[in-house]
Amino acid sequence: MSRYITRLRMRRTYKWNGRPVGEDRKLKRQYYESMSISVEGKTEDATVSLGQYILIEGDDDDNPFVAQLLKLYTDDSGKKKTAVLQWFVRMCEVPQSKRKLLGRDPHPQEIFFYQDRSCDNEVDGETILGAVQVGIYVPVQDPFPVGKSRDILFVKLLWDTKSFRALDPELMQPSQSPKSPPPSSRGPQPRALPTPDPSVMKRAMSGILTRGSMSTGKMSSSEAESLHSASKLSAAKALSAKRRSQAVSGPQVRKKLDLCTPATPRTPRHATPSIPSRTAPARKPGNVLEEARARLHVSSVPESLPCREQEFQDIYNFVESKVIDGTGGCMYISGVPGTGKTATVHEVIRSLQQSAEQDEIPHFRFIEINGMKMTDPHQAYVQILQKLTDQKATPDHAAALLEKRFSAPAPKKETVVLLVDELDLLWTRKQNVMYNLFDWPTRRNARLVVLTIANTMDLPERIMINRVASRLGLTRMSFQPYTFKQLQQIITSRLNRVKAFEEDALQLVSRKVAALSGDARRCLDICRRATEICEHSGSQKNSSGLVGMSHVMEALDEMFSSSYISAIRCASVQEQLFLRAVIAEFRRLGLEEATFQQVFVQHQALCRVEGLQPANVSEGLTVCQRLGSCRLLLLEGSRLDLFLRIRLNVSQDDVLYALKAD
Amino acid sequence: MCLKFYGELLEAQNQPVHSSVSWAAERHLLSALMWTPEIRHVASRKYAGQWREITGPAPVKMSKRRSAALTGAQGISLAQKLLRERLCHQKLPDQPVGLDSQYKHLLELLRRTAVHGESNSVLIVGPRGSGKTMLLGCVLRELMSLKEAQKNVLLVELNGLLQTDDKIALKEITRQLHLENVVGDKVFGSFAENLAFLLEALKKGDKSSSRPVLFVLDEFDLFAHHKNQTLLYNLLDVSQSAQTPVAVLGLTCRLDVLELLEKRVKSRFSHRQIHLFSSLSFAQYLDVVRAQLSLPPDFPDPKFSDEWNHSVTKLCEDKTVEEILRRNFNGSKDFRSLHSLLFLAVSRVSVSHSTLREADLIEAWRLISVDSKANVLHGLSILELCLIIAMKHLNDTYDGEPFNFQMVHNEFKKFIQRKSHSIHKFEKPVVMKAFEHLLQLELVRPVDSGVCKVQREYQLMRLMLEHGQVMEALQRYPQCPTDVKQWALSAFG
Repeated sequence: MSRYITRLRMRRTYKWNGRPVGEDRKLKRQYYESMSISVEGKTEDATVSLGQYILIEGDDDDNPFVAQLLKLYTDDSGKKKTAVLQWFVRMCEVPQSKRKLLGRDPHPQEIFFYQDRSCDNEVDGETILGAVQVGIYVPVQDPFPVGKSRDILFVKLLWDTKSFRALDPELMQPSQSPKSPPPSSRGPQPRALPTPDPSVMKRAMSGILTRGSMSTGKMSSSEAESLHSASKLSAAKALSAKRRSQAVSGPQVRKKLDLCTPATPRTPRHATPSIPSRTAPARKPGNVLEEARARLHVSSVPESLPCREQEFQDIYNFVESKVIDGTGGCMYISGVPGTGKTATVHEVIRSLQQSAEQDEIPHFRFIEINGMKMTDPHQAYVQILQKLTDQKATPDHAAALLEKRFSAPAPKKETVVLLVDELDLLWTRKQNVMYNLFDWPTRRNARLVVLTIANTMDLPERIMINRVASRLGLTRMSFQPYTFKQLQQIITSRLNRVKAFEEDALQLVSRKVAALSGDARRCLDICRRATEICEHSGSQKNSSGLVGMSHVMEALDEMFSSSYISAIRCASVQEQLFLRAVIAEFRRLGLEEATFQQVFVQHQALCRVEGLQPANVSEGLTVCQRLGSCRLLLLEGSRLDLFLRIRLNVSQDDVLYALKAD
Repeated sequence: MCLKFYGELLEAQNQPVHSSVSWAAERHLLSALMWTPEIRHVASRKYAGQWREITGPAPVKMSKRRSAALTGAQGISLAQKLLRERLCHQKLPDQPVGLDSQYKHLLELLRRTAVHGESNSVLIVGPRGSGKTMLLGCVLRELMSLKEAQKNVLLVELNGLLQTDDKIALKEITRQLHLENVVGDKVFGSFAENLAFLLEALKKGDKSSSRPVLFVLDEFDLFAHHKNQTLLYNLLDVSQSAQTPVAVLGLTCRLDVLELLEKRVKSRFSHRQIHLFSSLSFAQYLDVVRAQLSLPPDFPDPKFSDEWNHSVTKLCEDKTVEEILRRNFNGSKDFRSLHSLLFLAVSRVSVSHSTLREADLIEAWRLISVDSKANVLHGLSILELCLIIAMKHLNDTYDGEPFNFQMVHNEFKKFIQRKSHSIHKFEKPVVMKAFEHLLQLELVRPVDSGVCKVQREYQLMRLMLEHGQVMEALQRYPQCPTDVKQWALSAFG
């Protein structure tokens, strides 16, 4: 555990070993063979020399980048040390979407020879963490050796950003294996391999190199490594890594994480959330109506999203251009619920991912968070970080890590597309969550595209302070409620030639819903209910078997009609009398509010008129409370007893209408 | 405050009360405490257990030989046991009465979730005591008898009165689902982790392979008051997306429950509502009473059950009984109030009179319908009664405006000086003491105007009694002096 942490706490100093072995006059460079790294508080220095495998500091402190050292040089001033490298990648650095290309589970200690011309292979010499690690070349067809120390990494394949290929065996001659010094001894002696020609690589590559001592205070603690393997940073390499360990905040943040990882009893580490699976598989729909019902369920994913072509195109173009340019940006999408905002964005991402698969556009990561699916706005950081890197952290730490990630320059970083649903719930008093979300895309190296969704069109003006609203920018889109034609088209396309509805019935539903809310979910739910009603009345005369007008009418009635009237009609005699008394008292007072005592006097009078025995106060209060619990009446707290104030929750006309019909 | 009460009730349940007399006394006490309907509703369920203890010794074990005639006492205790189970909602009825279409609708809906893995959401709305829980219980019983559903369905039951916020609700869900972050009875992790864990679990499932989960949310309206309605949003969102099949069943008595939902939550709800409004006529109501009181044909002692059933039929034809039942029916149509009436009547049956008589029902009705303050008034002294009459006069004179002690005392003095012969003069401190007692009984309550402290004599008060209640108390008061009665009846003090 302490292995990499100590590194950050200690200052390292870098020194050339020996004299320059070569010089490039034109570039004013002086080449060296090896470099020694001394660490504060350690007596022994670690030495790295050409051809050796080294660790380079990267985004992830737990899994530093692996590379082979090819050249070491300094510029004429002699201050800046530069290293030329051949990169290797770990599986966790391969983009998530490409990992399956391997076709098998990667060996935990497997690394890949990295071949990409576009990749910068020069780094600051001072990002070298120190000595050596590495690997055995394993021929493709052979199994991985077992029983070896966990510190050995294996090379088997080559990764060229598109696919895994067999590493050319010609490159890999199992020849002279350099001596592997026992761990904790001094670093291996420099081997003189000054020129970075392929043959050198070959030889070095094929060597067996057990981990050399990295005398920078690390211990061979494989437990710690396995523990941390859960929290790998899978980011692509930040190759031109500047030394970021200079950031003073680093160690402190680090310490914080340390405290929280092992100490607090968390969710058992290996708990995998899942619902048990059923014994028998679910039954498939049997007849036309069941089929139609399954297709009409909101959850069923339609083949295409009709009626949102324009919005789809706009969002698609926006995201695509950002991904291609490798820049960042924000977009705000608004619309009332059930107008297909989230569905459209998902559709866009799906088709973008498809074209990324076919290498038409660069690869990108898609991350989705939802303001309603978190308990606190600051959890947004935690969720983003977890989805990005599988790392668990506290909100503050996560914010710091993300900040670091999005502001660090790294040419090979993938673009991240972040969807923030229900944006309004991320509002905090200082609005720093929103501020950060919109600020990151504006960083030069962030490569972050943020799509935000909320219901209200004027959210930026209403709740955001100026600096947040300004960063959100003016790329806005608003989803209009569906018109009846669109709703009809949606249902038709969902049904997809399953003939279950009469044409008129569909039109009725869509017109009704369009007039009320334009919510597609509602429309689908009504259709579903209509199929049920049809099924139950199926045996009756309407033998067409299709869902007709009458069924739809019934479904609409169920969902839209207010239940107050029928509740009043079904109320008991005393309850009805009490409602009458309330209205009578309101008329007498000329107010819309009365106390129980006042109404009760009316109630008793009405009882006498109706020839019933007048109720006593307790009974009256019970009746009143029953009406209150249904919310036909609005009541104050019952401790006020006689003086609790009563108001009607229904219009007087409705009450009179309901009572008259009896 | 509600919850505190609830806890006390649960505690009270553990202390058996031994005679029905003390039970009746306690009932008055409790009803005097002005419950909110929610508490009353919970209490009536919780007290069901207690009633069982009140009504005598444990029933004799049922004889194996059916034909053997039981002794009178055995027959009675067996009959009482049967009826108690029925009336205390400990046993579901075989078939819900008058809710056939709702029953079919709900059963069909849940069957589709269980068998086809279709997600649904539905609200069952009806006034208190209309049989929402009973309906759901019957449906679930039927559902679980299906082979396909039995082993597949997971049931999660939540109650808005118990799970008062989303944090507790989430832990409860995780516990009931036996997810893997449960160790023993404890759920690990913070609120945020729990939510993420549960959502992840639900997300991993799919329509055809994972077990459907039924979420029953009792007192659904209370869940709508949780912060951001996070739980409802997430449950309903799962029900509308291709994840683990769920059915969200809400039970509530609020008709306006949909207006409580935020619009994005509302949009995710399927807008299915099953309303339980009873449209029972009085004749049907009488039939229900008869059916509820009758013993089943498989009662071990046929002779006893014949006699009993005959007496029940006769009872229902009786004019007085019909009048009582009609008053109860007029008051409310729900069966819970009927059950508490019948329960009191049934528990009066004993060896000395082995059938239900009309007197039992009349006595039960008297106990139930008595005004909650009548008993309190009954125990007042003459002086206190006089003060109340003085207050009543003040109320009449000043049309319900609040008064203070000084005014009451003046009124009282006037009465003593002018009319009274039987009541001797009380010192002012004595009268003050009596007044304070009334204050303690909450028959008088200060008007909280929020102003600074006023001298006690001048603090404004209100009488918490109706005109009719005062007159009724005077009528019933034993040996009330005539001049006091006359004073009360006179129009002006």
